[in-house]
Amino acid sequence: MARTAEERTRDVRTLLEAARRLVSRADTIAPALASSTGLSPEGVRLALAEHLEVDARDDELASLVARAGDAPQVHVILSSNVFVGALRALAVAFAAAPSVTVRPSRRDPWFARALVAELGSPAVRLAEDLPPARLAEGEIHVYGRDATIAAVRAAALPGVRVVGHGAGLGVAWIGPGDDIAAAAASLARDVIAFDQRGCLSPRIALVAGDWARASSFAEALDAQLAEWEVRVPRGAFSRDEGAERVRWLETLTFAGEVRARAAHAVAVAAAGAPLAVPVPGRNVHIAPVVDPAAAALLLAPLARAIVAIGVNDASVATGFVPPHARVSPLGRMQRPPLDGPVDGRAG
Amino acid sequence: MVPDPSSDALHARARAFVRAFEAGEPMPEAFDALASDLARFQASRVAGYAKLCAARGVDVTTLSRAGDAPAVPTDAFKMTRIATFPEEGTRVTFRTSGTTAFARGAHAMRDTGSYDAAALAFGRWALASGLPGRVPVLVLGPSPREAPDSSLTHMSALFVEHLGVAASERQTYFVQDEVLDVVALDERVAHAMIHGEAPVLVLATSFALVHLLEALDGAPFRLPKGSRVMQTGGFKGRSREVVGEELRRDVARAFHIDERAIVGEYGMTELSSQFYEATVARAAASADAAPWVYVEPPWARVVPVDPVTLAPVKDGEIGVARIEDLMNVDSAFAVLAADRVRRVPGGFELLGRAPGAPPRGCSIALDELLGR
Repeated sequence: MARTAEERTRDVRTLLEAARRLVSRADTIAPALASSTGLSPEGVRLALAEHLEVDARDDELASLVARAGDAPQVHVILSSNVFVGALRALAVAFAAAPSVTVRPSRRDPWFARALVAELGSPAVRLAEDLPPARLAEGEIHVYGRDATIAAVRAAALPGVRVVGHGAGLGVAWIGPGDDIAAAAASLARDVIAFDQRGCLSPRIALVAGDWARASSFAEALDAQLAEWEVRVPRGAFSRDEGAERVRWLETLTFAGEVRARAAHAVAVAAAGAPLAVPVPGRNVHIAPVVDPAAAALLLAPLARAIVAIGVNDASVATGFVPPHARVSPLGRMQRPPLDGPVDGRAG
Repeated sequence: MVPDPSSDALHARARAFVRAFEAGEPMPEAFDALASDLARFQASRVAGYAKLCAARGVDVTTLSRAGDAPAVPTDAFKMTRIATFPEEGTRVTFRTSGTTAFARGAHAMRDTGSYDAAALAFGRWALASGLPGRVPVLVLGPSPREAPDSSLTHMSALFVEHLGVAASERQTYFVQDEVLDVVALDERVAHAMIHGEAPVLVLATSFALVHLLEALDGAPFRLPKGSRVMQTGGFKGRSREVVGEELRRDVARAFHIDERAIVGEYGMTELSSQFYEATVARAAASADAAPWVYVEPPWARVVPVDPVTLAPVKDGEIGVARIEDLMNVDSAFAVLAADRVRRVPGGFELLGRAPGAPPRGCSIALDELLGR
């Protein structure tokens, strides 16, 4: 017999309680998570304290349950996700089905394994491998890059629904009425989380106004990120990521204005110049724009990938936000309510 | 063309390299001397380059070695105009191909004379050495009328004009509206064979060759004896070991020509010079005529650099291509490409685009954004 909405909500709450118990042991688990994720231990603690959605409200969970759908079984393949993303993935799956199997990300398996162990429910089980071609029923929820999702779709058996959640990026809008210093402080919080490795992480900031205002914002953001580096040092990055960062910095040094430090960089491009999305690692491309219409034009090539918009005046954002993107105030881009999948692109 | 004495003087010095090459004479001056003067000229006219020099702590007034001058990433050509002259002085702007909605790189030129001279001289050496004279040049690409902003099409047209026999546009360019006209190509080759015009020179991108092979579906497409093929265009990061060698083998088999008659060309919109394999130009026994080894003309250098420090790597190690091109007088004489290269005896190997950093988490990767 199908579970009622209340029963589904109750099941999700048991998952959140398990996550809360893990958070209570943050100091103990931080080193293992730091090793697994590449974040600094401070970055892990910040993520556990502020970005793990363990305190969902009733209305949020009602929304999550309503959006999760219904399936006899859900198989969750975690391929590319920030570690706290495992909680939302399992919550959506558990809301949809009474039986869940999960294959943790091979590169970052620790948190998903710990969460399933902490839950201790036979309804949610770990699987070392979930070959799509051998999953005869239910749904497959895959969190990964486009190529991974496409491969799972291609291999899935007829009748098995595949729900893909791809990678993405966030964009911030600094409106004409925003205070530059306050907006920079808020955006810095969004940038710091997960060292920008999240699909909601802002890597582009559009500043309403002229180049001088954008430059002022860059100066303020640079200072904020420098302060954060003392409290929450950036984690480890690969040599390939370093190479992409250097290329981006050289390009923007030529074509704009760069403020670069060892653990972060902000760059301002000329008005109207195409966006040069930086590699994650606390790097932000800032562009001056005259109005939301100009923002829409600039963002158009990236629209499919944009899953989060940070904006203080949401009414302004309607002109350029892709319909699938989450809209949050600056400073809360990385703390979306647990009301469903992380973005509206799933399908 | 709007006169510009400083630029014109540098163009004249650049073209002297080409004339010396064609005459088999020593180069007129040291590479570093002209390169240093180009860096000074470009830093004085291009604000972005002056900033890049300053950021790297390079004082161009005392510069004496090309390698000390910073290279401009090819990405910068997408973001801003890179030119030592005002807009109204632009004679032609070449643009990178646009397969996505993203910005295309643009290379503005006020004087194509140096480009043309260099492209023709080195192209003639690499592709036409030993040919009996003018031959039919068959372009598996669009005509200049259809693709006026393509540097590859511009170069192909140069070869058609200076290396080819007289022929109509329809008998020369076999891609129209992005479709390869295999029937017209077949007719042209048959005509060449019947009228004893052999051999022919085919200019093609890798993609065009792939399309041709697909259209042929295993059937032979014999070219006249002694024909050559210039193959250009990469494989989007896929290794040549997997795709390039297989494609070359299939093309040679279809055309009934030796694999060494297929000459790889490496060029890009942001440059004014090209690089070729020397499999036709040099004797097969020559150590520096190995396939997959690209050779530079005396007016350009390819230096593999560490992608993080941007310093040259040791010989034999893989680095990102820093290309110094003395023909890039009015833009950026040193360009940082995205391709990986390795110095080998006689030249350099082209190893494809850097694969991009495999990101952790769910932030979208640059390659994924760009659809690569």
